[in-house]
Amino acid sequence: MSDSRRRSRGSQEEPAGPSNGVGGRNRSERAAEMGEEDDIVGGPSGISEEDDDPTRRREIRSKYRDLINQVQQNREDMLNPANNKLTDVLEEANKLFANVRQAREAALDAQLLVLATDLGKEKASQLHAEGSAFDPSAFAEHLLSYMGLNRLEDESGQDGNLEGYLPQGAWQKLANRSEHCFKTAPSFHYMLGSFLAEPPPPRQRVERQRKVPGKEAKRIMPTQLKKMEESHQEATEKEVERILGCLQRYFADDSDEPISYYEFVIDPNSFSRTVENIFHTSFLIRDGLARMYLDNDNLPCIAPVEEGEVEPGGASIRHQCVISINHESWREIIDAFDIKDALIPAPEVLSQES
Amino acid sequence: MSQRKKAVSASQNKTQRRSQLLLNESDEDATFSQITSSQVQRARENFTSDQIDRKVAEVVQFILIKDQKKIPIRRADIGKHVIKDYKHIYTDIINRVCRTFEQVFGLKLVETDPKNHIYILINKLEPIHGEPVSMRPENPKKGLLFVILSVIFMKGGVIKENLVWNTLKKLRVDPGEKHDEFGDVKKVVTDEFVRQKYLEYVKIPHTEPVEYEFRWGLRAEKEVSKLKILEFVGELFEQDPQSWTQQFREASTAGTSSQRTS
Repeated sequence: MSDSRRRSRGSQEEPAGPSNGVGGRNRSERAAEMGEEDDIVGGPSGISEEDDDPTRRREIRSKYRDLINQVQQNREDMLNPANNKLTDVLEEANKLFANVRQAREAALDAQLLVLATDLGKEKASQLHAEGSAFDPSAFAEHLLSYMGLNRLEDESGQDGNLEGYLPQGAWQKLANRSEHCFKTAPSFHYMLGSFLAEPPPPRQRVERQRKVPGKEAKRIMPTQLKKMEESHQEATEKEVERILGCLQRYFADDSDEPISYYEFVIDPNSFSRTVENIFHTSFLIRDGLARMYLDNDNLPCIAPVEEGEVEPGGASIRHQCVISINHESWREIIDAFDIKDALIPAPEVLSQES
Repeated sequence: MSQRKKAVSASQNKTQRRSQLLLNESDEDATFSQITSSQVQRARENFTSDQIDRKVAEVVQFILIKDQKKIPIRRADIGKHVIKDYKHIYTDIINRVCRTFEQVFGLKLVETDPKNHIYILINKLEPIHGEPVSMRPENPKKGLLFVILSVIFMKGGVIKENLVWNTLKKLRVDPGEKHDEFGDVKKVVTDEFVRQKYLEYVKIPHTEPVEYEFRWGLRAEKEVSKLKILEFVGELFEQDPQSWTQQFREASTAGTSSQRTS
C-alpha cells in the first residue's frame, strides 16, 4: 500500500528505516526534540516554501501522533473482526501522507504503519486459526447480558462511555454458574466455631446449677428434719403425758376399780387411733409410770404407778411383751367388751374442748 | 550516629533471623529426605497403632483448616506443626491421610509441586449441573477468576496482562479503581489468585517498560475443567463448543489425561 503511494508521489524522499513498534515511541520523542532545531536551522534545499511551512508540518505530525495513539490505546478494539477500524486508520494515514513532504513526517507515517501491520498480522492470525476466533470484547458483552446489565435508555453506543450498570448480585450469579467448572474442595469450617473455647463454659454452668440446688437442699433438709424430729418427739411426749393424765384421772375417780387395758386403749371409732394409743401407752409401761397386770379373769389391766412406787432405772423385774392387733381383733374386742366410747379422747376433741 | 548504627544492626538482625528461619525450614524439609529405611522400621515399632491413628487424624484436621484460604500447604509446615516426632513414618501417615480424604471426605490431596512438596486439596467428585455445589453461596471472586481463566484458555493459554485489564474494564471492573465487591482488583488478581496458584503472573523478558503475562496456575490445571469452561462459553455465545476446534481438542485431551492420573 505504501509502495503505491510512493509511486504516485514520485518523490525521492524515503521514509525512515523500519523500526519496531516499541522503539518507535522513543524515536518519535527524539524526533520531537530534534524538531525544534530543525525549524531554527531551516529546511533542506530543493524544497519549495509551501512544502516547508512549519505550521502545516506541525499539524501533520500532530495528526499522525493522534493516529498512533489511537491505534495503541484501542488495540483490542482494532483487532475486533467485527469492525473495520484498522482500515479506517490506514485510510486516514493515506490522506495525511498526501501532504507529507519531509522525512520527519514520513518517519511518523512509518511508525504508524509498523503498528498497523502488527495489528493486521494478529487480525489475520485470528482468521487463520481453525475453528472460530475468540473475541474477548464479545465475550465481555455476552457476560454483561448474562449478569443482567441494565442498559440505560439513552445509550450512546460509543466505546469510550460505558453505559448501564450491573445489578446487585450480578457477580454472585456468575460465580454460582461458574462454580460448576471447578472441582474446589469445600472449605472446612467447624459448625460451632473455634473448638478451643467450647468445653469450659458448659462445665461451669452445669457445676453452678448443681451447686445451687445442693446448698439449698442442704439448708432445707436439716431444718425440715429437725422440725420433724422435734414435732415427732414433742408429739409423742405430749401424747404420752396426756395419756398418763387420763389414766391417772380415771384411777383417781375410782381407785378400786381396775381399768381394763383394752377398754383403755381401744377407740371404737378409729382403728389407727387405737394403734397409736397402744404405742403411746407402751411408753408409760417402759418408763415405769404405769403397770400392766392380769386380773382374776386373766384379762390385762393397766394402772398408774404410785409416785412412791416409781423406781428409777426400773430395777424391778422387767417383763416384755409384744402386743399386736389387727382390724378383725379390734372389732371383736369392741363387740366383746361392748366399748362404746374411747377412754382416751382423740387430740382433736381435746383441742375442741379447750 | 548511634541511632543509625542501631537501625542498621536491627535490620541486619532481621535479615539474619529471616535467613535463619528459612534455614530452619529447609532443614526441616531436608530431614524428610534423609530418613533411612531402618529408621522407618524402628519408628513403626515405636508408636502404637492408636497413636498413629491419632496423628493421621491430626494431619487431616490441619490440612482441612489450612485449606480454608486455598493457599497451598507445605510439607515443612505439616512436619513442624503436626508430625513432629513422627517424622520418620511421614510417608506412612501421609498415605493414610490421602486415603482418608478420598474415602471419608471425597477429596483429593494433590502434590502440585513434587520438588518443593506442596499440597492442595481438591474435590474428587464432579459437580452436578443444576445442583448447588456447597451450602454456602460461592465467593463472587470465583466469577472474576472464571472470566480471567476463560479468556486465557480461549486465547491459547498465555495472554498479555493488558488483555485481562481491558476485558475487566468492559465488565465495569477497573484495576485502577476500588471495586464495590472486589476491592483492590489488581491485588486480588495478581497477588491473591497467584498465591492460591490459580494464576501465574510472569514477567515477559526484555520488555521496557515491564510487561507481564498471565497463564493458568497449577491449582487451576488440577481443579478446573476446560471442557466445562468451553461449554459455558458456548452457551454465552450461543455457539457449539466444538466450533472452537483447537480449544475443544485441548479441553478433551486435558479431561482424559486428568482421568488417567486419578
